[in-house]
Amino acid sequence: MEPSHPSEKLRIVIVGGGTAGWMCALAMARQLPAATYGITLIESDDIGTVGVGEATLPHIKIFNDSLGINEAQFMRETRATMKLGIEFRDWNQPGQGYIHPFGAFGEPWGGVEFQHHWIRAQRRGASGTALEDYSYSVAAARANAFDFPNEDKKSIRSTYAYAYHFDAGLYGAFLRKLAVEAGVQRIEGQVCDCARDRLSGDITELTLKSGARIAGDLFVDCSGFRALLIGGALGGKWQDWTHWLPCDRAYAVQCERTGALTPYTRSTAQSAGWIWRIPLQHRIGNGYVFSSRFISDSEAQQSLLGALEGQALGAPRLLRFSPGRRLHAWSHNCVAIGLASGFLEPLESTSIFLIQAAVVDLINLIPAPHSRTSDPRLANEFNRLNDMQYDRVRDFLILHYMANRRLGEPLWDYVRTMPVPDSLQNKLELFRSRAALPNYQFGLFARDSWLAVLIGQGIEPSHYDRMADVFPMEALDEKLSAFRERVRTNVAAMSSHSEFIENYCGPAATAVSEGAEA
Amino acid sequence: MSANPPIARVVVVGSAVPLWLCTTALARALGPIGVKVSAVELKTAQIPSQVYATLPPLESFHSKLGVEEAALLRSTAGSFSLGQLFVDGAGSRRPGFFHAWGSYGAAIDGVAFFPCWLKAKRHGPVASLESFCPAAVAAHYGRMIRPTVEVAALGRTEYAYHVPAMAYARELKALAPALGVTVYEEGAAQVVRSGTDGSIERLVLDSGRIVQGDLYVDATGSSARLIGEAPASEWRSWQAHFIVDRLLLARAPRFTSVPPFSEVRISRAGWTALNPTQAMTGVAHAYASGLHSEEEAVRLASRVGGSALSDITIQPVSPGIQAQPWSANCVAIGSSACMLDPIHDISIHAIQLGIVHLLSLFPAGTEYGAERTEYNRQMCSSFERLRDFQCAFYAYSMFVGDFWQHARRHVAPAELLHKSETFRARGVIAPMEDETFLAASWQALFCGLGIVPDSWGPATDAISPTRIAEQCQRMLEVIQARVTAEPMHDEYLAALCGRAAA
Repeated sequence: MEPSHPSEKLRIVIVGGGTAGWMCALAMARQLPAATYGITLIESDDIGTVGVGEATLPHIKIFNDSLGINEAQFMRETRATMKLGIEFRDWNQPGQGYIHPFGAFGEPWGGVEFQHHWIRAQRRGASGTALEDYSYSVAAARANAFDFPNEDKKSIRSTYAYAYHFDAGLYGAFLRKLAVEAGVQRIEGQVCDCARDRLSGDITELTLKSGARIAGDLFVDCSGFRALLIGGALGGKWQDWTHWLPCDRAYAVQCERTGALTPYTRSTAQSAGWIWRIPLQHRIGNGYVFSSRFISDSEAQQSLLGALEGQALGAPRLLRFSPGRRLHAWSHNCVAIGLASGFLEPLESTSIFLIQAAVVDLINLIPAPHSRTSDPRLANEFNRLNDMQYDRVRDFLILHYMANRRLGEPLWDYVRTMPVPDSLQNKLELFRSRAALPNYQFGLFARDSWLAVLIGQGIEPSHYDRMADVFPMEALDEKLSAFRERVRTNVAAMSSHSEFIENYCGPAATAVSEGAEA
Repeated sequence: MSANPPIARVVVVGSAVPLWLCTTALARALGPIGVKVSAVELKTAQIPSQVYATLPPLESFHSKLGVEEAALLRSTAGSFSLGQLFVDGAGSRRPGFFHAWGSYGAAIDGVAFFPCWLKAKRHGPVASLESFCPAAVAAHYGRMIRPTVEVAALGRTEYAYHVPAMAYARELKALAPALGVTVYEEGAAQVVRSGTDGSIERLVLDSGRIVQGDLYVDATGSSARLIGEAPASEWRSWQAHFIVDRLLLARAPRFTSVPPFSEVRISRAGWTALNPTQAMTGVAHAYASGLHSEEEAVRLASRVGGSALSDITIQPVSPGIQAQPWSANCVAIGSSACMLDPIHDISIHAIQLGIVHLLSLFPAGTEYGAERTEYNRQMCSSFERLRDFQCAFYAYSMFVGDFWQHARRHVAPAELLHKSETFRARGVIAPMEDETFLAASWQALFCGLGIVPDSWGPATDAISPTRIAEQCQRMLEVIQARVTAEPMHDEYLAALCGRAAA
């Protein structure tokens, strides 16, 4: 259907062509009617993107699926691998580690959550087994195996989800191609000025270096750390969380892969932060997230280079950031998405999830096409949802730091003793008291994620739910051992991650499928 | 495990349904782990005319408790409820609306029904929201509908009960002995406290007997006998949000044919609810004593409930919340923790929430500060969401009359204001934690009160008005066909109660 008047369209202008900008542009182009919404994206070839968010959460698959993205093609084009979770090494104390999987631990028996049964068995000394022995996805990860989850809910092979590691730069390019095909107008240029309505304070027009002027009704600030509109033009306030999350810099570098093609991200604690290892098809992404209060840039760079498993591909890039979030991500007629709206270190791979959640919420709350002034009621709801997402992720990240036994290391001593948000303190005390897990309906993370990290970071509950005692101990031992056996035998039948990638979406798979199409 | 001996004795103090619901549910759940539950039944005036309306979650709560539905309805002469009908008798000529225990409409081409309905309404005449709700349509025809496979295919359909309070209490109490509950029937109990935190050390009963527990449950209703006198007790009034301060309860004869829903009749001076059962019809009339006298209240209740009202009692209502429903070793459950406004009759549900949360946080050791903090957080949040739902009925009503004029001057809590503003702007219900009422209930209420959203989500724009109209028509036909195949409520009750008796 043709629009009756072009001017009746709500003009959406997205500033910035990184992951956030193109995720937003494509989703909008697919989900907003073209007759009533016009979408323009301004990006500059001269400005690099951060592209650090190379590891993701399982939600990204829902996002891609909703946009009709073919998984194998997407993985091939972004050199992606599968991700079953994150391995945390040396976080609790050097030499110890655990995996936070995208999957369940055990199953509830007699209406009692699994961890109570497990703790009870541990206390009785009957079966001194590790929590991870009851996670199908951890076992698969340790075996460097991968297969798609089974649809049959009764199968143990259905008890996990998966995400991806990919080249975020390529993902952006992949989305850009689709978005432009879907009708997004792409403008190359650098924004150098921003005009605002004197009365309402709304943004009316952007001026590019070329002199071109781009008018709009709704502006989406995806300009990353620079926060051109929300910070620069509107002066939106920032809530700083450095006192809880002291890391404020990162060195990032890619290297050749010599180790295994792991179906998981690795995070290894360091004296002043942590190093990530993200396996892609053709290389390994590495980075040292550190606190400038506790280590110099050059020492951090040395530590990173020393930790690489293969030849570095280029020189390490330094990123500076401050953890926190925008007080109001949606202000006037400007919505900040991605790094312009807040920053949380990539410890739990939440950056792309936070973009996705904001994009979904923005589309649901998008101003009606006929509206020419911004509706604060929609902005208030968007901000409430956005704040909730950020605050919940924040608490989960702080947990990784505060619960540590790395005595005598200044950063770790600081985070172990700092006061934490009440919302986190209450969760911790409840777990310590009765092994109860946080249970909220909205936002990250789910109970099993909390369980993995609480136990992994060495937090010992003093009790478990007494209802677990109803089970006869012998029957419980049998159930536990049968469950471990199910995990073992099923994982043994899985294909290796590298084989899976090669067959499904590797360069060889490209040749085969292209040949087949020819 | 640890040196801390776990809690072994729970003492529940109170009367009537709150006492016996708490006692039996706790005994049932905690018996298997060796916790002994005692009940101290205080002598209080019973209200023979009271009929509880309940919410759908009570059904599964009863199952866990071992209360069989047919047996309960037979012995209490209760009935089923598919929701609440609101009728404007105050003269504004606004159409009534039905708040059903079920969903409204089915998704069209993957898009939620509600925004499609809003769009259809904008483009022309469309059937009322409740015509798309199987539970509401069944109620309209006096039929009972259960979530069978065929019914579930049309959307969520749930049901609740109307149950005479005294008979319900009697049936629950009868379960106690088999659950190993020790019952003390006493006129009153004196509370002896100790320690700096005001922990209850023991109860001294009228008879001189001493009852001791590790944990005490205050199920004494609005008198809040245990929690109200605790040193840390802090009552937060909600009177800024609510106008009703009196509730008249009376008994009317049963309807010849028992409707499977409650009816709330709006008058200029308040509202009157009819809760029908097989034995009688419970009449509840809510009003503000500053505006209307007792005589007027009786007259209005009679106008709605019929001239043959009996067992009339009038009780004060003062909504508010105990800042810490769990204080030291005392947990307040029900009206002792939170006094709700009488609209929607959710007091049984409030008790259920208290029990469920207490059981999920039942102390594992004698140190339970963390559990207490979490319980208080969860309960206050849950109560506040209930408060918001009730408050919306007054704050956004457009009914005529001095009562309603005053009602609208009361303050809407911030969360409710946010919810209603979001609804007005986009037609969506802002998702919040600890909600009892699902989005469908909120939408039915807001729409029923006459709030029309300014816009709907963009996903709806992909579907043409013609397509929506066709699908709506199809839904109406399918629902009509399904519902008319369901039994009449009377027949269903007779068969259920009769067959079970045979």
